Amino acid sequence: MAFIKLDSASKIYETAQALRGVDLEVEQGQWLNIVGPSGSGKSTLLNVIGGLDSLSSGNVVIDGAEITGLSEDAMAVFRRERIGFVFQQAHLIPYLNAVENVMLSQYFHSMSDEDEAIEALKRVGLGHRLTHRPSQLSGGEQQRVCIARALINSPKLLLADEPTGNLDRENTRIILELLKKLHQEEHFTIILVTHDPFVSQWGQRIITMEDGKIKCDEFICYL
Amino acid sequence: MSSSVIYEAFWVGLKEALKAGLVWIVLFSFLQVIDRKKLSGFFLYGILLALICPLYVFTLPVTPQLKELISRSIDTSFALFFILSAFLLAHGSGMNLLGAIERAFGKTVIAAPVLLLLSALYFAPDFAGNSVFLMELAEVKESPAAVYISATAGIVFGLAAFYAARKKIRVDFIGSFFGLPQLFLFIAMIKLLGGGIKGFSGISLIPSVQTGFMKFFHDFVHQVFVILMVPDHPLLKTTAWNFIGILFGPNFSSVAALAALLAIPMLFLSHSFLGPVPEPEAETPADRRKIKGLFMSDRKRKAVSVLLFVIFIVVAWFSESGENISKLYIPKPRPVVEDKGTVMIPLKDPTMDVRDGALYKFSLSYRGEEMRILVIKKDDGKLSVCLDACEICPPRGYGQKQGFVVCIYCNTPIPVATLGQPGGCNPIPLHVLIDDNFIRIDVSEILQKWDYVKSGKGKESVK
Ligand SMILES: Nc1ncnc2c1ncn2[C@@H]1O[C@H](COP(=O)(O)OP(=O)(O)OP(=O)(O)O)[C@@H](O)[C@H]1O
Ligand SMILES: [Mg+2]
Repeated sequence: MAFIKLDSASKIYETAQALRGVDLEVEQGQWLNIVGPSGSGKSTLLNVIGGLDSLSSGNVVIDGAEITGLSEDAMAVFRRERIGFVFQQAHLIPYLNAVENVMLSQYFHSMSDEDEAIEALKRVGLGHRLTHRPSQLSGGEQQRVCIARALINSPKLLLADEPTGNLDRENTRIILELLKKLHQEEHFTIILVTHDPFVSQWGQRIITMEDGKIKCDEFICYL
Repeated sequence: MSSSVIYEAFWVGLKEALKAGLVWIVLFSFLQVIDRKKLSGFFLYGILLALICPLYVFTLPVTPQLKELISRSIDTSFALFFILSAFLLAHGSGMNLLGAIERAFGKTVIAAPVLLLLSALYFAPDFAGNSVFLMELAEVKESPAAVYISATAGIVFGLAAFYAARKKIRVDFIGSFFGLPQLFLFIAMIKLLGGGIKGFSGISLIPSVQTGFMKFFHDFVHQVFVILMVPDHPLLKTTAWNFIGILFGPNFSSVAALAALLAIPMLFLSHSFLGPVPEPEAETPADRRKIKGLFMSDRKRKAVSVLLFVIFIVVAWFSESGENISKLYIPKPRPVVEDKGTVMIPLKDPTMDVRDGALYKFSLSYRGEEMRILVIKKDDGKLSVCLDACEICPPRGYGQKQGFVVCIYCNTPIPVATLGQPGGCNPIPLHVLIDDNFIRIDVSEILQKWDYVKSGKGKESVK
């Protein structure tokens, strides 16, 4: 059975219909990129999979659990144990340093463990920036803290919405190389939203959204 | 007066029902969480078994000895639960005292009768005590039925409250706070709070533990001095007794009592908050943290009731020791007269009963001399009749504090049970005859011993 399965997923807002009957299956360990024009429903789709947004109709099954039927509490537990998020904005806590930001995520999951957090930051190449606060870090470094934070609780699924949207080409490449390395080591599933054709080439599959539907679904060669 | 009797009867009933209800909820939640819900029935059978006690009290004569027995078994039943919980807490603090016993209780054949028995032991003394109390209330009221109806109403009201709340009770949540030791400690605490016979006033634990300590130290020191050393050793001087008195005096023994009560709960708390956490086996570091985190939060949750107990005991101790200082009961001597060489003290008159456990003093004026006699009932029911003076202190007399008489001059507490034993600051016993109505004492006996006190011969002999 597929790791992620969407069945005629629809999302209707008062002013717009963001998703119009999306069917999608994603295998465990796949790296899937979502592209498409602005307003086509990419973020909505990602949020629905991550349980940040609910469907108007249809349903979503992740890792055998039908998340459409989960209570809010159960959904929160599901999210913190199985999903990591990275967004375009870093959303780091400004008065905590890099290690503490990662430890906070550990704390909400179970309990903090400083050594493990330091190890995770070293793996994203920030061994020399451990006690820096977000304001003392570059955009690319902040985003790497976010990746360390997103992966610290060993999620099976990483959801990334325009993770390189604020970065220049060089930093974008660093982030993608990093994701590729971690993906190969840990075999989590990645769903990444981007409008950047350079970014969408990193992965195994690209789906193109248009007007709330999947217009095109192609498998590519993993760079 | 009469309406307050009705109110008290209602309160007694309500209190018993609330106590039973609370214990039931906690026990049921605990059993639910450990998946032994079937055992809960035996708790109820235990309560039914305990109901034999009120039946007995209501149908057969209530003697003073029986009353004594009941009040002692209330203390004992508390002690039983407290000691069991302390034992289990010590086990849970890493001492691993159990093992085989633990496995045995896994079997319903063993766990069920034990639960039945414990439940009966828990409720029986209180049921009996409260029944006696109700009967006494009924005696002062013209219509005894009203007292019993009121008590029953209290019980029904209390049980109804639990019945109404039963759907709101989150069994899993409550159960997650309890392991077996916490359960025992908690229900012991309920017993303590709702303990004694009347209301909440009967927080009797600390004084009784303290009494135990004071008796122990007093007897110990006494024995050492009287047997191992010569009785008239210079240490027996008042100043020395003053000093040694600290050892079995209320201050030392109350600290010792506090320490005895808190030692194991504190050990358990420190283990719960600071004890090592086993490193679990897990696939990912996150899983390992999760297992560890669950372990630690469970451990902290299970420390809550122990923490409550510690706070409760400390608060009770402070309020108790505040009272201790102020509460030396010194009764006014009642005058008695001599008739044909004999002094006759009535055992009972409309204003007093010397067998009620309080200290009584009597004064005899004879040839311009004031001599005082003290009378108090000992735990074994016998009367102790002594001079209100000892061999070594100036005859300032004694006051009463809980199970002790305390020398007003040197502050040494003497356990009532050891009253009249020779040596130290112990009241001088008198040879008396006691019949159904009077205590008879020869005047010559009083004169001779009072002279001894007055002349300071006692003091000289130890020099
Ligand atoms: N909370 C909301 N309330 C109302 N309409 C919304 C809401 N969120 C999204 N929409 C609408 O749903 C449609 C899809 O939005 P979505 O954010 O998924 O687009 P997107 O593909 O991520 O676009 P972009 O590339 O600009 O981020 C849009 O028309 C948007 O206006
Ligand atoms: Mg978007």
